[in-house]
Amino acid sequence: MATQTQTGTTPQPELTGAQKIQQLRELFADASEVGKRALENVLKELSGQVSEPPPPIESAGRVGARLGKRSELTMIVPLVPGGAKRLRTFLQLLGGNLSPGASKVGTLHDMRFVFLDNDTRMLFATSFDGDWDTYIDDFIALIPDYLDLMDSAWEGWPGIRNPGAKDYLVKHQITAEGWFVANPDLTLAEIQRLERIGKATDEFLDKVQ
Amino acid sequence: MSSVNEHAGASVATREPTLDLHEIQATVLRQRPAPYFGSHVLLRVDDAEAGRAFLRRLIPHVDSAAGWWSATDPWIAVGISYAGLRALGLSEDSLQSFPEAFREGMAARARQLGDVGVNDPKNWDQAYGKGEVHIGLSAFSDSEENRRRILAIARQQLVGFSGISVLAMQDFGAQPGDRNSLGYKDGIDQPAIEGSGVEPLPGQGQPIKAGEFILGYPGEAGFSLPMPQPEILGRNGTFVGFRKYQSRVGAFNRFLQAHGNTEAERELLAAKLVGRWRSGAPLVLAPDGDNPALGADPERNNDFNYSNDPRGRQAPFGCHIRRMNPRDTKLTRLTDVNLHRLIRRGTTYGPPYDPNALSDADDEVPRGAYFLFISAKAMATIEFLQQEWINDGNFVGARDERDPIIGLQEEGATFTIPKDPVRRLVRGIDTFNVLRGGEYFFMPSMSGLNWLANGFQ
Repeated sequence: MATQTQTGTTPQPELTGAQKIQQLRELFADASEVGKRALENVLKELSGQVSEPPPPIESAGRVGARLGKRSELTMIVPLVPGGAKRLRTFLQLLGGNLSPGASKVGTLHDMRFVFLDNDTRMLFATSFDGDWDTYIDDFIALIPDYLDLMDSAWEGWPGIRNPGAKDYLVKHQITAEGWFVANPDLTLAEIQRLERIGKATDEFLDKVQ
Repeated sequence: MSSVNEHAGASVATREPTLDLHEIQATVLRQRPAPYFGSHVLLRVDDAEAGRAFLRRLIPHVDSAAGWWSATDPWIAVGISYAGLRALGLSEDSLQSFPEAFREGMAARARQLGDVGVNDPKNWDQAYGKGEVHIGLSAFSDSEENRRRILAIARQQLVGFSGISVLAMQDFGAQPGDRNSLGYKDGIDQPAIEGSGVEPLPGQGQPIKAGEFILGYPGEAGFSLPMPQPEILGRNGTFVGFRKYQSRVGAFNRFLQAHGNTEAERELLAAKLVGRWRSGAPLVLAPDGDNPALGADPERNNDFNYSNDPRGRQAPFGCHIRRMNPRDTKLTRLTDVNLHRLIRRGTTYGPPYDPNALSDADDEVPRGAYFLFISAKAMATIEFLQQEWINDGNFVGARDERDPIIGLQEEGATFTIPKDPVRRLVRGIDTFNVLRGGEYFFMPSMSGLNWLANGFQ
């Protein structure tokens, strides 16, 4: 099953804000009346931001998008027959809550597994701190069985110890075109530190009263 | 030559080696002698046949690691860059079997390495980063006399070749007390390698799988890394990240002066930056004051972990040695420390550390260190270290702070010293070692060298 590796047409970087808006209006010429009206309302609201856009999303290394310190990974992979059932049963072992294993990683903000198309494909989406393959080698060395248990449901998965494993992941990953992160500069470690400081401050304030 | 014998890294082989020591270049396993004297020579190959003929003449003087624990003569190490392999006439198929980062070269990987700002390749010394450095020779010996002797041998091999140009030549050598350009005893903590034939020193930990450092052996994850092809070229070879640093001794001393009122305060701050006193004595074992006898004793100066210092009260989380080998420090990320170690051969050049050097001009006195960072995946490991352990602090809970010794500091950078009752935040930390050049080399096995030198047969 072919997987999309690129989405849509990337706008020419040299286009001005006004040209981009013009291009958008042309594309919406064939859209429904509802869509056209909505576009005009939204453009009114965004007018200032189009001429001075925020810093664009960057690359997370080999593949994926990055905003500040956070990277996203989105994959759609074909499943082997029976793979979805095995994986679903495993996920339900923990009531669908993956925190016992996943919190060990220390860089994972979130992770979701969604079965598509009558269990023939799976969407895997996650966001994490840092570059794409910085810590993959550590996962291979430290939690190979978790990875192989999950990924053995994937069609053509070579095994995490196979040198081709990273290439498999890259092949099935689709880089996000748009993305929002509320606090792009807060790593998980920093968030946990701030939580600890918040608690300590409350304790301190209680004591000085 | 007794001093080489005594200080090449270990006294005797105590285990049966399982590595092909006669194939691996000596420098991979053999530490520099103490004291040490040597030279780095960077060469360009202008004619493929001349380059191969030069290698043929040089090979008899390149030592293998057989009996690496006791050197009887000075030795030469040879590394060849991607541009060098091409210049020697290696086939396209073989060239393409090398890792991507090696093919691109260190300068082209500046973004991944964080070599920006003052460390940007555009600020490097003339010879580096232009694809012109093809062969790197490093000669190691235990005396000035032997250095001259081995260099004369290397030079003789160049006589009569019009097809080889010398791009740069740099002597290096021991400072009084084996100190580096910032006044510290260095080179202490090296990874122990499984199958190399010697017992690890106390504190080195379990030996690390050889495949992390030498191609053709299983690594920590249980499998071998892909090797450059053909196998005769790849097996028992390894990669070297060669980096030249200029020490900004004036800036370093000014920083110590600004944050320490007395000699004792300045020395404590200097120790906190590194995690060791200048003598080499680790703060974890000597928290209250320097202990030069401890620093000088290889059986004791690395024999520690951080189990009694979980909050960094002795060795700050952000100090140099705790970053470069976190040992049992609780890290914020799932990390296998053994995957990110490098064998390093640090070689100090220029005048010795001067504690009274305080001026801007002192920053430009040519002194510092050339490093050979050796690993079977040196490119990936150096990129990892630069991104995660040197120019970031998140992994060890030190937020945005960077390695105080080899990090590239940004405006307003700080260094946190955990302390009771409250931490001390030292401001105004500067870049104390500036990168002035770098290249990636492949260090082939003895068979690999012969194969290259003899026209790929």
